[in-house]
Amino acid sequence: MEGLMAFWAETGIAHFEAGQLLMMGVGCLLLYLAIARGFEPLLLLPIGFGAILANIPNAGFTEEGGLLWYAYHVGIETGIFPLLIFMGVGALTDFGALIANPKTLLLGAAAQFGIFATLLGAIALNLVPGFEFSMTDAAAIAIIGGADGPTAIFLASKLAPDLLGAIAVAAYSYMALVPLIQPPIMKLLTTPAERSIKMEQLREVSKREKIIFPLMVVGLTILFLPAATPLVGMFCLGNLMRESGVVDRLSKTAQNELINIVTIFLGLAVGSKLSAGEFLRIETLGILVLGAVAFSIGTAAGVLMAKLMCKLSGGKVNPLIGAAGVSAVPMAARVVNKVGLEANHQNFLLMHAMGPNVAGVLGSAVAAGVLLAVLG
Amino acid sequence: MTSISEQLVDALGIMIMGMGLVFIFLSVLIVGIGIVAKFCPAPVVAKPDALPSPIATNRLDPKLVAAITSAIHQYRA
Repeated sequence: MEGLMAFWAETGIAHFEAGQLLMMGVGCLLLYLAIARGFEPLLLLPIGFGAILANIPNAGFTEEGGLLWYAYHVGIETGIFPLLIFMGVGALTDFGALIANPKTLLLGAAAQFGIFATLLGAIALNLVPGFEFSMTDAAAIAIIGGADGPTAIFLASKLAPDLLGAIAVAAYSYMALVPLIQPPIMKLLTTPAERSIKMEQLREVSKREKIIFPLMVVGLTILFLPAATPLVGMFCLGNLMRESGVVDRLSKTAQNELINIVTIFLGLAVGSKLSAGEFLRIETLGILVLGAVAFSIGTAAGVLMAKLMCKLSGGKVNPLIGAAGVSAVPMAARVVNKVGLEANHQNFLLMHAMGPNVAGVLGSAVAAGVLLAVLG
Repeated sequence: MTSISEQLVDALGIMIMGMGLVFIFLSVLIVGIGIVAKFCPAPVVAKPDALPSPIATNRLDPKLVAAITSAIHQYRA
């Protein structure tokens, strides 16, 4: 009988708390979104399962010495996982469209307004009782507007580790929701005539230009913004491996095996931050709202900048491509292409949108570097 | 604890400086790309289909060719 009692005391049923059940529900919701709806399944699936594991009573996954505890401390607290992902993204990115039309870098810059406007918004939210975001918290929340998962996780792990779970979940959920969030804003700010503008075909870019580009970006970062070198440096390393063409094996590993392995552990470790005690707070609600605001403002700023470029260039720029300035590669570019096709069935904007899209990745890395340099 | 209005002013300062820095950084990059592009000649793309095939030209009626040529000229004008 005593043995049975001891067993009962160790079961999950005897120890469940309401919060843990709720968080397991959240984990199941993430799994549903990943499996049934296909929203960012590569990340939401491990994050959702991690959330379930992290809320099992008596399992000890997230306690010191547990698997998730190690995954978090080795990979995320040190910033290593997001940086390895960034290297893989660099190896996956083709800067050809950007080099062919470098002015689109301005669109990637304009879309970062979402980040800095949200910084203001997060501080303003302190006026509501119950919220107390410090400046570093606000910066970590604001980076959701960069629409770049690894950057958001990297900055949050440096500036506001206790908010990391909510920030990562918000960042990846909104990236998955790009096809729903962006089109209404894009249509609101442009006329049908503007949306159907056809753009000139991009010029061919030589291999030498593509090799020099990552080196140039690293050089500029070293000179002006050393705080961004972890992110930009790893990104450019990946890109140089791709473009140089002499280390195909390394480039392929960074693009496939390495990024996949890291994604599994990154997802689990982020999921481990979704324990009831850390996630079920009023701040989480604020972060989710602010994240959506950041995303929308970023999209709007990009489109408005593209409208300005359209006016200045005499109608050669389709304002829709500005929306791709919020990284979220390549989802945002695909959305631009889709909205463009709705306005004009023969108008393929995908390649033109890839320019601002990859510019957005650089832009959010630079913005993260600025925030780290000022607040870190 | 500083008051919220002070924090707001700080955040506004970071916003203006941050956007300025992002724009300056990426603008310098635009100039850089421009300079590199000047020193790297565009790759020569072979366009075999651009050459008119002699057989096809022979078969065309000279009147038709004239009509097409004038149409192109009108379109370009």
